Order: sequence, then C-alpha cells, then structure tokens
Amino acid sequence: MFIDIDCIQKRKNKEHTCGDYFISKRYPEISRLIAVLSDGLGSGIKAHILSCMTATMMAKFIEAGKDIKKASEIIMESLPICQIRKISYSTFSAIDCNEDGSVKIVEEGNPSFIWIHNSQIIEPEYVTVSSKKFTDRKVQVYNITLEENDRLIFCSDGITQSGLGTQKFKLGLRRQGLADIVTNVLKIAPTISSRDLSRHIISEALKCEEDLLPKDDMSAMCLFFRNPRQALVFTGPPYHNQRDNFYANIFKDFKGKKAICGGTTANLISRELNIPIENGKILASGSLPPMSYMKGVDLVTEGILTLTRAYEYLEQDEPVTNDDPAGRLTDFLLNSDCITFMIGAKINQAHYDPNLPIEIEIRKNIMKKIGHILETRYIKKVIFQYM
Amino acid sequence: MKKVITVKICLGTTCFVMGAAKLQEKLKSVLEKYGDSVDVKPVNCLNICANTDTQYAKAPYVMVDNDIISEATVEKIINKIEKGY
Repeated sequence: MFIDIDCIQKRKNKEHTCGDYFISKRYPEISRLIAVLSDGLGSGIKAHILSCMTATMMAKFIEAGKDIKKASEIIMESLPICQIRKISYSTFSAIDCNEDGSVKIVEEGNPSFIWIHNSQIIEPEYVTVSSKKFTDRKVQVYNITLEENDRLIFCSDGITQSGLGTQKFKLGLRRQGLADIVTNVLKIAPTISSRDLSRHIISEALKCEEDLLPKDDMSAMCLFFRNPRQALVFTGPPYHNQRDNFYANIFKDFKGKKAICGGTTANLISRELNIPIENGKILASGSLPPMSYMKGVDLVTEGILTLTRAYEYLEQDEPVTNDDPAGRLTDFLLNSDCITFMIGAKINQAHYDPNLPIEIEIRKNIMKKIGHILETRYIKKVIFQYM
Repeated sequence: MKKVITVKICLGTTCFVMGAAKLQEKLKSVLEKYGDSVDVKPVNCLNICANTDTQYAKAPYVMVDNDIISEATVEKIINKIEKGY
C-alpha cells in the first residue's frame, strides 16, 4: 500500500508565522513513513519555535526507535519557557507507519485523530503513558492496523475550536463537526487525495468563523492508505546504445503512467518499440519546445529545458501547473505517488558548447534536484535507475 | 501531381536554444506564398547535433526533404526550396 500524506496550514489572523509545525519523512527502502504535527503554546514566532523543536525532536526520537515517554520528557526539558505563562508547552501527534498497514500513533494534547474505515469512524483503544516529572502531561499511544482505503485525520485545536463563541458554533466546530465534514466529503469524493481533503477541512473550518478569519493556527493533516499511482519518467539515452532495446522494453512493460522527456529519447523509444511520433502543429509556446504525442505514452516533452522549468515550478510555494509542457510534467509528477526515473547517462556534447546562449543543466543533476524536492516537499516515493 | 517539399525544423534542446522556435514562426509567414507545395513540420529532434562530432556548434538544423541545413536561416531555407523547384 502507499501512504498518501499531506498537511495544509493556515496561520492565525494577523500573525506572520504559523505556530503549528508539520514534519514528515519517508523511508522508501524500508517502506516506512514518520510524520509529526505539533502545536506550540501561543502563536507567532514563539509558538513556531516551540512546535518546530517538538516536531523535529519527536521525529528524530521515533526514527531512532527511542522510548516515547523518555522522548517526551527530554522534549519538555528542552523547550524554552514562555515569559508570560512561565511554562514550556507544545502538543503533538506523531505517526510511525509502515506500508503493510501497521501504525503507531502517539498523541499529547492535540485533538484525538479520526480513523475512517469503510466510511465508518473507528475509536481505537489506547494506552496512556504518564510522566513522573511532568504530571500534567499524558501521552496516548495507539497501535492500529490499517487496511486499503482507510484514512487518518489529524488536526490542531485551531480546527476543532474554529467558530468558538459564534452563534452557530458556540462551542466551536469540535471533533464531531470535523468528522462530519470529512465523512460528508468522502460520500461525494471517496478517492479524494490527502492534499485536497486537508485543503477542504481548512476551508470548511474557516467558514465556521463569522468573518472567515482564523482565530488560531489551523493545521489539517490527512493520511490515505491506497494503491500507489505508479509513474515512469524516461529521460536521456542509455550510455551503451546496444542496451536501447532492453530499456525500451522496460518502458513498454511498465504498469502505470509514462512520460518521455527528451527528443533523442523519444526517437529511441519510437525506433525500438515501433511507435510513431506525432509532432503537434502548435507553435512552440514561449520559451519551451512543444510536446509531441506517442500512442501509449501519457506525456512526451523536450528534455533538459522542460525538466529545468518543471523544477522551478516545483520550487514555488504553490506548485505551478501552467498549461505549458513543464506545467504538464509538474502535474504528471504531482498526480503520482511512486515515480521511477530512468535516466540515460549518455551526454550530448552539443548541450555544453560554450557558444550556446544559455547554460544547459546536466541531466543527472537536474533529475537529482527534482527527485529530492519530490521526496522531501511533496513526500513522493522516488526511485532512480541510471542507464 | 505537384511535388511537395517537406521542411522539418528540429525543436530539440540545442536547436531550440539556438533559435529554432523563432525560425519556425518566421518561416510560417514567409512560406505562405508556396501554399500546399511546401509542408513545414516541427519535429521533436532530428538527432543531428548528438551525432556530429565536429559540427555541433551548427544548430539550429533544418531538413529540406533529405538535405540538412546547419545554422539554418530563413534565407538558407528559401534558397534550398527554390533549388528544389
């Protein structure tokens, strides 16, 4: 199974920084994913520092397999003390999951997560762990097993308390209100991505406020266990051209969406698999060469220039999905969960001619950058295969 | 039957960077006078620059029927087309 995870945040009105912090790391080689959502005391920079420290430390402790009680105590002792309240405080929800469905969840202070299985909300059993040193801190530990299409919803109290004091939501949205939002949207869109679901939760929580402005930092983190959407990007010709046919057949047999980035690469696949290339009659749009079309291939673009632009789009705060070849490639990548990059090592000397008016990036480097940002920022599973 | 001359403009990385897209746009209007007898086709790559050891600085490449034009310009292409008539 693949774990589709995303978190959308909205900072408190008039604050410049979100006081909640989300961190996530995927370990493709051991099919593991760790994520932590923390809410720092107060708001703004101070809260951000507290939540950032908590989430980062907690993720490291979980990664190292440390005892959760000990980890919580160390974190509490490490956090700076608030000058006003004279305490150090931040809440957290930490998730350690495996793609086989086994999940360990540790919660302290955040609203309890919502587990949706077969459209029903399940309330799992948990063990409470308390600390002698910090008697007011109680950590709930859950060990659960998820099945395909199960979802987990985590949030900061900014969500469950949204609308607090208003005529319609005197006690705020509360956990039940959040559960209703999620179950209602799943009836309409059962396969909604974690990103879109998180976004929907935030937008619905904002609607609870009469002025539609967040009164606290809001975070919605969703996990969705499902079959992975596989994608393959084939770019660059293999180093040894006698292997062209071998790699072209791997491309042919791949189960999932397929893209080719590179003119020579497209010609190679066309030749080896006997698939004609259709070049669109459309003029080259702006500063990128146009797309081509091949039967059985979802996307055919030029190579380095398009890849470099797609990387620039991925680097933006909100990924750009312009209707140009790089925008289509960005869309292609973001709508996939597991992306295999088959990267040809043959270098086209002409790309590095000093007479060229612009500098062309080295394919291997740009692919490494794209892979890294997809793994770290977009939490995709990325596999590199050099040819 | 009237002879049709095919003009293939390479839009591979090197040719594109060396001005193939602008060349394509210019050609579109310049070659209108030939009507259906000249067929201009942008192609994803002619694979010339990668296979030419000494001439890789000669992009953009255009192919008029089976003849390769290096450092292609509108003038060079029209000359070649006129010879073909």
